[in-house]
Order: sequence, then C-alpha cells, then structure tokens
Amino acid sequence: MREIELRAAIREGLAQEMRRDETVCLVGEDIARYGGILGVTEGMLEEFGPERVVDMPISEAGFAGMAVGAALMGLRPVIEMQFTGLLTVAMDPLVNTGAKARYVHDGAMSVPMVVRSPHMMHGNAYMSQALEAWFAHIPGFKVVTPSTPADAKGLIVASIRDPDPVLFVEHEDLYATIGPVPEELFTAPFGEACVRREGVDVTVVAWLAAVPAADAAAGELAAQGISVEVIDPRTLVPFDSEAVLRSVRKTGRLVIVHEAVRRGGFGGEIAAMVAGSDVVSKLKAPIERVANPGVSVPHAKHLNRAVLPDKDDVIAAVKRTLGS
Amino acid sequence: MTRRQPLADEMSHRDALTADYLREMYRLMLLGRRFTERALELAAEQRLPVGMHPSAGQEAVGVGACFRLRPGDWVLPSLRTTEAFWTRGVTVLQMFNAIMGNAGSVNAGKESFHHSGYPDLGILAGSAIVGAQIPQAVGVAWAIKMKRIDNVAVCFFGDGAAGRGDFHEGLNLASLLKVPVVFVCENNLYFQTVPAAVGQPIEDIADRAASYAMPGQVVDGQDVLAVYDAVQTAVARARAGEGPTLLECKTYRFLGHYPSMLRDDRPPEEIAHWTKRDPISILGRHLEELGHQDGAAVEAVEAAIAKELDDSLRECEATPFADAKQAFTNVYGEPIEAMGL
Ligand SMILES: Cc1ncc(C[n+]2csc(CCOP(=O)(O)OP(=O)(O)O)c2C)c(N)n1
Ligand SMILES: [Mg+2]
Repeated sequence: MREIELRAAIREGLAQEMRRDETVCLVGEDIARYGGILGVTEGMLEEFGPERVVDMPISEAGFAGMAVGAALMGLRPVIEMQFTGLLTVAMDPLVNTGAKARYVHDGAMSVPMVVRSPHMMHGNAYMSQALEAWFAHIPGFKVVTPSTPADAKGLIVASIRDPDPVLFVEHEDLYATIGPVPEELFTAPFGEACVRREGVDVTVVAWLAAVPAADAAAGELAAQGISVEVIDPRTLVPFDSEAVLRSVRKTGRLVIVHEAVRRGGFGGEIAAMVAGSDVVSKLKAPIERVANPGVSVPHAKHLNRAVLPDKDDVIAAVKRTLGS
Repeated sequence: MTRRQPLADEMSHRDALTADYLREMYRLMLLGRRFTERALELAAEQRLPVGMHPSAGQEAVGVGACFRLRPGDWVLPSLRTTEAFWTRGVTVLQMFNAIMGNAGSVNAGKESFHHSGYPDLGILAGSAIVGAQIPQAVGVAWAIKMKRIDNVAVCFFGDGAAGRGDFHEGLNLASLLKVPVVFVCENNLYFQTVPAAVGQPIEDIADRAASYAMPGQVVDGQDVLAVYDAVQTAVARARAGEGPTLLECKTYRFLGHYPSMLRDDRPPEEIAHWTKRDPISILGRHLEELGHQDGAAVEAVEAAIAKELDDSLRECEATPFADAKQAFTNVYGEPIEAMGL
C-alpha cells in the first residue's frame, strides 16, 4: 500500500469527504491562504474556494459558536483550534451550546461538528496543554485520538460523518509519521481499540504521541525478555473497555501512558474501569500511570523534556509492575 | 551593564525632551534591533531553547510608550513589545538569560522571554493567549483606582488581538469603570499569516473607541516621538481620573511572525515600502537635523551596544541552564506533592 505522512492523511480525508459532501466546510485561523500554521489544510482553499475554507480573525469563541449554529442548520463545519490551549478560549460555545444542543432539543436537533485540536506539547504553558479529559468529561462530546496515518484518515472522515460534536485530537509530533493509508475514502470505527503490539507480561494503554513512546519502550523491553502488549484505544469516547479488559486478563499488569496531567487525566478513568471489573482479581501489581505529574508545560526544551513522559518513564513503570 | 532608570522629572511632551532623552530613545530602539539580530543568530544555530517573536520594525511603539512611565505604573506587553522590557529597565543579561532558560533567568525557563514578567520593574508576564492581557489590564487599572494612587496601566496588543471578545469586553469595562488604562494597539497589518483586512471590516481599529465612549487615535507607529506624545496625553488623562484611551500605532514587522515559520507570504513591495520607514532611521535623521547626533556618535552607540551584547552573551553562556527540577516548582505556594494526588 502507498505510504504517506499523518498530516497528509488528515488532509486527504478532509478533501475526499469535502468532494463527496458539500456541506463540509473548514473554519479556523491561518487555514486558508497559508494552509494552516502546521500545514494540515494546505491546498484546500485552492480546491474548495473561500466559501468553504474560511480564514478567521482571532475569535475562537466566536467561530466555535458560529460552527455550532451552522451545524444545527445542517452544515458540517470542521474548525481548527490551532493549538490545544486555545480550546480554553472557546469552552462556552463548545461545552454549553455545542455539547448540549441534542439533549435540550430532546433529539430534535444535533451538532455534527468537528473540532480539530492539535497538541503542540513543546510550546508553552498556555498552548501546550493536553485537554482530552476535559472533553471526555462533557456529556455530548466524543473524543478521537489517532496515532497512525491510516487511523487519522479513517477517523477524520468518521468524525465528520458523526452526528455529534467530536474533539479530534492531533499531535504535532505525529504529523510526520509515515504509514500505509488506503487511497480510497473510508472510515475507521469509533470505540474499537487496536493492539499495536502483542505481549503477555504487561499491558500498556497509550494514545497519541504516547503510542510511539510505549512502542519504543516495548521494543527495548523485548530485548530484555519482557513481553509488553501495547493497546491504542484510538477513541476515548466511545471507549473500548473490552479490549483493555481482555488484555489485562491475560497479562495481569496495567500501565497507562498519557501526556496530560495525571490528576483528573483519562488514565484514572481507565484504571477505575479495570479496578471496578472482575479483572481486578487478576491484577498481579498495582496499576501504574505515566503522565505529567501536575505542572504546567514549561517552555525551555530542557525543562519540557523533564515534564513530558517518554520511553524511559514507560520502561520504569513497566518494571515497577514486575517488581524489578 | 546598564539598567535604565525611571526619569525623575515631570511629564512633558516632545518639545520639552532634551537631547539626552532623544538620544536615549535612539539607543533603546537600536538596542532592541541589535538584540533581535543576535537572538535570531542564536536561533539559526539551533541554540535557542525557547521561541521568540522578532520586534524589528516596531521598536518605536514600546520605547515611545514606556519612555516616561513611573515606578508603580504597570505594563502588559504583547508577544512583540520587546522594547517595553529595555525601556522599563530590564538588562541585556536578564534578557539573554531568559531567552536561554538559564538558572539565573527570571522564570527559570518556564516561559519565553516575551511572556516573562518583572514585577519589580512594573511588567506583568503576558499570556500566550493573544488579547488575554486586555481585560487583565482593566483589572490592574481598577485596582490602581481603588488604591487612590495616580498610576496607570499600559496595555499592548496586536491588530489580531482586536478581533477577540476580550478586546471588546475589556474596552467596555474600562470605559464603564473609568479606570486609568492606556490601550496601545500595535497594528502591524498582519496577524500571524493573515492580512489585518481579512480580520476586520474597518480600516482603523482606533474607530472602535467610539463604541466605548473613549478617545481613539491613529498614531504613526514608526515615529517614536508621535507615539511618545500620544501616550503622554493618554497617560495624563488616565492619571487625572478621566479614564481610558485607545491608541492605534500603525507599524510593520520587518521579519517573519517567528523564526521557524514555513513561509512569509507578504508582498516584497510592501516589505520594501515599510523598511524605508525604519523607526530607528527616522529618529536618527531627526537627531542629525537638530545637530544632536552625528555619524561618529552613532558609531559610538553601536559600539557600546555591541559590547554590551557581547559581554552579556558571554556571561549568559557561562551560566548553566536552569535545573530541570525547577520545572516542578511554583505550581502552587506548596510543593505539588502536597496536593495528595
Ligand atoms: C487567542 C489566540 N488565538 C491564536 C493564537 C495563535 N497566535 C499567536 S500570535 C498570533 C497572531 C497575533 O497577531 P497580532 O495580535 O496582530 O500580533 P502580532 O503577532 O502581529 O504582533 C496568533 C493567531 C494565540 N496565541 N492566541
Ligand atoms: Mg499584528
């Protein structure tokens, strides 16, 4: 199969779906003329024109609310929130108007919008936030977290077609990841985890940039005779609990890795789900979480590295579950 | 090492500025330009562990606006108001340490130099959320008013920030509460990659002052003396308890939005037009005409700045990076371990 970058895979999914469905439109800062500050929407203005690919002023709250209104009227807006920290500026329209419209209309209306939210974790305390747990906490929002080019394409298309608001999380560090991606238009399913690597000793659940970190850790541990199973849930809402339970039933050990802050992070929800299931009796070690220990993400590179979880942190956590 | 001190004499407009003051303005702008050039060299050598937004071309705004602020006044810089730092008294060494995330830096590398605060010099750390400083400045000014002191808040922001609800809400609040704040818009005709005209349906952001019943004025942002005068008037009004003013300084950034941008799509003719309106040359010519500064004097200033940059950079390079442990401090007043989870 042809191989492309994850960035190009998202772009291809967007473009193919826009050709198929003319209600899909793109809204955001620097997305039209410039092609996106991180280059995802390059060429979209040229192909789809300024009515469907619209540069916005610096008005995140305004255009998020606008997208909610347009989605209620049947458009399928895909808005780009440049960097994840900017979600905070648009929380009211997203959380209040967007996520609740179906509920308060008791199903008579819905908000088929997508919020593309690129994690840029090597930036600063403001922009470099991983806020997927905030949205997972909001009834009405779905949360999608692809880590491979094929998933990114299939899931962006599925997100656009989904009838409800979707937070589609991207990761700057993954944009250049190359992998096989079908050329035709396709969707990837929500709520279906993928086993990235099979193993029998320890289960590691990771998403976004934590997936390559977990995979690299698993590779190194394999050389030491430790067999790690890496599970990528691909979507956090809906979540494939069964895939995690199946794996932990086998391994008896669980490590959860994410770049978001540990306290209140989505890892806690997964740990609680496992602890509340019959699999709890199969656990041979306490559940480990590898995450930001609870600080804002610092700017200077050397501090930034110290805060964000990496391969070595995963290796250490896996070894703790093995008592070594 | 020179640290600029606040001026002791009373407020005055440009005609009352002595030759020394004019030369000082020139030095501050030139220092800003040469510092930016040095920092960009470091960036090109991949030696900058932090990001930056070059202010080249816009030096007159920060220098003119902050030149005669007093101790107790507060400045809230934008991402590009580098010159507010020099003019308020931050030293070159402090800036280099901040830009390197060094042990001795103001925030140990937690934030970039342009979002750093120096509370002892009356500078609040800016947020990377464009425009967030606008309502915050209103709060600073409100507190000043409540304390019944005659200080002011000066809030800088770009044309892009004027698209934010924070701009509109902030100006509305400032006017309603009649607080001592001066809003200084650095309209450099672009927000990141997009021309200002795409982001706003009007030519002059200053026109928006009318909606909030405050004076609004377009200022030539390349002329440091025009900026100085306009800010002096607005500051006097604020100190007298007459409320806020919106100043729109028309300016231009000579360089890209930040060093690692993929492209700069601005028309070369436009860049050429504006680089002819270099704020440093404009004041330089004025000084020459007045007989306050000749070629030899300019060379001496250049040499002094070059030496200061060299010395400070050398000292900065001999300083270790901030210890990574510092990344985990000052989240709260207590250590993060005290949070129980
Ligand atoms: C609320 C918000 N949206 C988007 C961004 C990303 N961003 C950083 S700088 C910038 C442009 C700012 O333009 P302007 O206010 O005109 O200042 P300039 O860079 O031109 O000095 C943007 C969009 C941001 N930092 N904050
Ligand atoms: Mg601007």
